[in-house]
Amino acid sequence: MSVQIELETEAQPRSPWKDAWFKLSENRLAMIGLGVFLIMVSLCYASPLFYPHSPTFQTLSFGATPPLTMAIEVRYDAEAIEPDETITPKEFSDLYAENPASDVTRIRDGEILDINGIVFRKSPKIHLLGTDSHGRDLMARIFQGGRISLGVGFLATFVSLLIGVLYGSISGYVGGKTDAFMMRLVDILYALPFLILVILLMVVFEGSDHQLLLIFLAIGAVEWLTMARIVRGQVVNLKNQEFIEAAKATGVRTHVIILRHLAPNILGPVIVYATLLIPAVMLLESTLSFLGLGVQPPNASWGTLIKEGAEKMMVFPWLLIVPAAFFSITLFSMNFLGDGLRDALDVKSSKD
Amino acid sequence: MLRFILIRLGQAIPILLAIYTITFFMVRAAPGGPFSQERKVAPHILEQQMEYYGFNDPTYIQYFRTLWQHISFDFPPLTSYPGLTSKDIILDTFPVSLELGILAMFVAIAIGLPVGILAAAKKNSLLDYAPMSFAMIGICLPTFVIGPLLALLLGVWLGWLNISGWFSWSDRILPALTLGLFYAAYIARLTRGGMLEALNMDYIRSARAKGASERAVVLVHALRGGIMPVISFFGPALAGLISGSFVVETIFQVPGLGRHFIQAALSRDHSLILSTVLFYAALIIIANMVVDIAQVMLNPKLRYG
Repeated sequence: MSVQIELETEAQPRSPWKDAWFKLSENRLAMIGLGVFLIMVSLCYASPLFYPHSPTFQTLSFGATPPLTMAIEVRYDAEAIEPDETITPKEFSDLYAENPASDVTRIRDGEILDINGIVFRKSPKIHLLGTDSHGRDLMARIFQGGRISLGVGFLATFVSLLIGVLYGSISGYVGGKTDAFMMRLVDILYALPFLILVILLMVVFEGSDHQLLLIFLAIGAVEWLTMARIVRGQVVNLKNQEFIEAAKATGVRTHVIILRHLAPNILGPVIVYATLLIPAVMLLESTLSFLGLGVQPPNASWGTLIKEGAEKMMVFPWLLIVPAAFFSITLFSMNFLGDGLRDALDVKSSKD
Repeated sequence: MLRFILIRLGQAIPILLAIYTITFFMVRAAPGGPFSQERKVAPHILEQQMEYYGFNDPTYIQYFRTLWQHISFDFPPLTSYPGLTSKDIILDTFPVSLELGILAMFVAIAIGLPVGILAAAKKNSLLDYAPMSFAMIGICLPTFVIGPLLALLLGVWLGWLNISGWFSWSDRILPALTLGLFYAAYIARLTRGGMLEALNMDYIRSARAKGASERAVVLVHALRGGIMPVISFFGPALAGLISGSFVVETIFQVPGLGRHFIQAALSRDHSLILSTVLFYAALIIIANMVVDIAQVMLNPKLRYG
């Protein structure tokens, strides 16, 4: 048992980014948020590799079964590899079982039953979260919906980032009347409720082949306003600061000034805002889908799943509760991560 | 003050015109006209309908005609509600949305304001942390998750309320609560922030020094300043209430304007979309103006500054 004490630690210079990461890793809520978010993303995108159920495959006898329902494989020929049918325990006890109460339990315990020449056994593939009313596996649908919801979130955020940064930096850099005009336009667009604008855009694009693409273009086209304001504010602030002037005076070339001196200073607020924008965009997409204006079947997003669940909650409450839980957990984790980043990167909260 | 109002009204005209123009061309650009989704009709009848609704005229004539119709409040007949005009729909359904909005705002203030004041007065205690954590949840959870879950809990499992409809007073509870909870959370946070700032001011120290009770300090002296962020929030809140009403009215089958706007968008009723957007825009501009005036009246610094 020896305790090692390092007496001489080399003083390492820490970059602001390492500093920020250190601060972030101290923030427990933000780290949990980061972890949950990464797990959610990898589950959604990697699920086709390991999850046995397909989000589109319908087992007709499995309409809206609750979570953890056991599936029973039916074989008319005991030697067959593929089962002839899979049925629910209810069907089994209604149609086949000689002794309904005990037979189901015996199958649940792994026994193989032979009733009048038909072989029944527990299926290894259980529907973890049950099935929807069309007999599709709910978990698989949630993963599929997550891929679309998260994908729309990322891409729309990227689009709004692109527009917002470009617009804001031009406005801030050029200044003068151009700046005043460009920002007045942003003010006007701000006065409109976002949802109305997006709904109008959705109406314009509805029914086209690339609807998904258009959804995030539409959302990105609306959500860039705040980004533009933030970037403009930063650029205006930085433009006149001494270190930029000093760089200019010492003959640093323009693109180096922009990349090395301006960009890192804008990056902090942009990263924070983008992190908070992803859940906001997912919320908007889901709201649209909930209203029937967003993702159309057979595609699913968390919004359409919640919509379907809300329609059937009287009878099958888990169809609402489970997707809502997935969605809320993701939103929470992103918001906590964004708040943590805001503190870590020391960004003053924006005025929106 | 009159000058201020007149300038703001003057600014509203080009904004409304711009919104009209954008909306007009956006709905025109949409694929599929108002008749394309319905069942197939005979070509000559379709032709007759197109003529009746004026879709055969050149676009610029339609643009100015519709503009004039909106200025003169003489609205064209609607394609999705034959025989009615946008005015009928708005007059018929907006009061419902208004009632919902007022009730939701009442819920928001009744919950948010006391919670925020209490949290600020008892800073860093359980009375601060617990409600503020709830507020965070309220802000993160979307309306269309809270709504159905509340309906499931209060309507289906406990059986206290109807889960949809708009008939008796008890039908108002779920929609108003759903719409109001988000704002309650937001107002609680804003109030707490504003109150904390106000409680640090010198005039609060003076009030304490002259012997005012803690109650009077918080509720009389600090509240006046602390409530300012909440007042300036009412402008943006209205835009949010409108968006929220789309969702809440759809969830609970409330016959308000929000649901009709969504229906109009789904059925491509050009004039109803246009009129509703303009109506909402005018509403928001007026509300923002009222908020600005209220701020000037409440804050002497702005009045004389």
